[in-house]
Amino acid sequence: MKRSALDGSQQTNFIYLLPGLLFYAAFVFGPIIAALGLSLTSWDGLSMPKWVGLGNYVDLFSDSRFYIALRNNAELMIFYCVLPLVLGITLAACVWNLKQREQLALRTFLFLPYIMPTAVLGIIWAWLYNPAFGPFNQFLRAVGLGAFALPWLGDFNFVLPAVGIVATWYFFGFCMVIFLTGIQRIDPSLFDAAKVDGASARKTFFWITLPLLLPEIRVVLLLTVIASIKSFDLIFTMTRGGPANATLVPNIYMYQLGFELNRFGAAAAIAIVGAVLTFIINFAIHRLVGSQNKGRA
Amino acid sequence: MSRWSNISAGTLFLRLVLWLLAFVTITPFLLLLLTSIKSKADVLQGAFALPAYPHFENYLAAWNAGHFNIYFWNSIIVVIPVVAASVFLGLLTGFAFAYLSFPFRRTLFAILTLGMMVPAEAFIIPLYYEMRYLGLINTYAALILPQIAMSIPFSTIFLASAMQQLPEEVLEAAVLDGAGRFHILRKIVVPLMVPAMSTLALFLFIWTWNEFLIPFILVNDDDYRTLPLGMLFFQGRYTVNTPVLTAGAVIVIFPLIVTYLIFQRRFIAGLTAGATK
Repeated sequence: MKRSALDGSQQTNFIYLLPGLLFYAAFVFGPIIAALGLSLTSWDGLSMPKWVGLGNYVDLFSDSRFYIALRNNAELMIFYCVLPLVLGITLAACVWNLKQREQLALRTFLFLPYIMPTAVLGIIWAWLYNPAFGPFNQFLRAVGLGAFALPWLGDFNFVLPAVGIVATWYFFGFCMVIFLTGIQRIDPSLFDAAKVDGASARKTFFWITLPLLLPEIRVVLLLTVIASIKSFDLIFTMTRGGPANATLVPNIYMYQLGFELNRFGAAAAIAIVGAVLTFIINFAIHRLVGSQNKGRA
Repeated sequence: MSRWSNISAGTLFLRLVLWLLAFVTITPFLLLLLTSIKSKADVLQGAFALPAYPHFENYLAAWNAGHFNIYFWNSIIVVIPVVAASVFLGLLTGFAFAYLSFPFRRTLFAILTLGMMVPAEAFIIPLYYEMRYLGLINTYAALILPQIAMSIPFSTIFLASAMQQLPEEVLEAAVLDGAGRFHILRKIVVPLMVPAMSTLALFLFIWTWNEFLIPFILVNDDDYRTLPLGMLFFQGRYTVNTPVLTAGAVIVIFPLIVTYLIFQRRFIAGLTAGATK
């Protein structure tokens, strides 16, 4: 069956697919499959890989450091996903009926962190948080809160939220922008009708805006959850997982096992667990938040 | 009832809070700029104190002594072929997925989308050994080839869905005129796709410019480091010289800010189009 007027024979059609697919197979899909295979071996990077079956996975799930990494990752999701979502949706609801010009200006500023390299942001924030000459503590001292001037990235209790706040700062403007376009998609007559019926701003938000933004909520959740599972750059440049594993996440652990201890099989197993986790959460979000926009591409 | 004046007072307060929040959000960047034009002595006066006069020589120090000149050109050398090749290959595969029939269509599409979900962290180890086997560690090819491959899923899906929006009649008319397919792609589809292609190019530019893991793992020679990586190693060498470090950071993010301010609207339109797909 022809798909369009441009469709030709299947052999010649393949010519269009082939270059891209070859690139993709060579440098992405092939390595993904290889990682799957590698995770079933014990390999130091030099000698022949030794087949260990699911041994790496068994080791991993009896490794207390791996559980610490998973728990830290779960806690970081509050800062990667929940806070940006709540903040973003609230801000979008506040900003959307401001004048175009002002809305654009606010949007430009709040969105700015999102286009930056997270590795460089990590380095910048490590400086902001510096206990002695970092602006953050200097500000606290200047406003009389010197007692709260802590060595943020060196404090076992505060380092995770300190790193997390950077992720929130990075994502909330991005979330706001997605929600803003979502609100603009909503039929304005719905808001007018609510106003005529005398609904309060809060009621309008919870009964009209929020339910109609479900597709955008799903997108934001998906993107931030994936970002939190793959978080590496920010944490690596700020704390390298320390102090004492307080910010250890699976990908940092993978880097340590693989590129520092040459335990490549175990490292690959972490990578695969991370990928599987991403799929499961992705699927769960699709099911839970529901997709009312099946008609869209 | 003073309901109306209440609302406007509330709105004013709300706007104040919003602007305060916007200001706090960009404060790290402002502090970065401020510190990058201070002397080492100025830094000791406090993070918020103004310098007596701007010390632009920090930029010179970062550019030359900090090797940012090398990192900057490396970033350019990597970004241009990655963006060009990804858009070109994305056009071909996007064209195939938009208009053509071929076996294993659904499977191939699923395999492509897999690449959008699985992060580079998951396959970096085999990729490293593949590159080593090919003798490409510490070459530009190690930075360019994987990044082209990694952008193919997004380029394909983004361009295929943009192509599906094109009016079918125009293409049918071209076929009736007896034009070949490659000719139609080049002369009719591509010109109509310019807005989508430039949005895609913008995204690929930002992502490639910001990429950390690929250059971090696949390159360990300073001569091939890109800007984010250069920044990391620069941090290690210049921990005490904050003004030069911040000048380096400004060099990394300046091209991003300029690109962002020029293409702001297109950027956000593309982001939401891409995100909701």
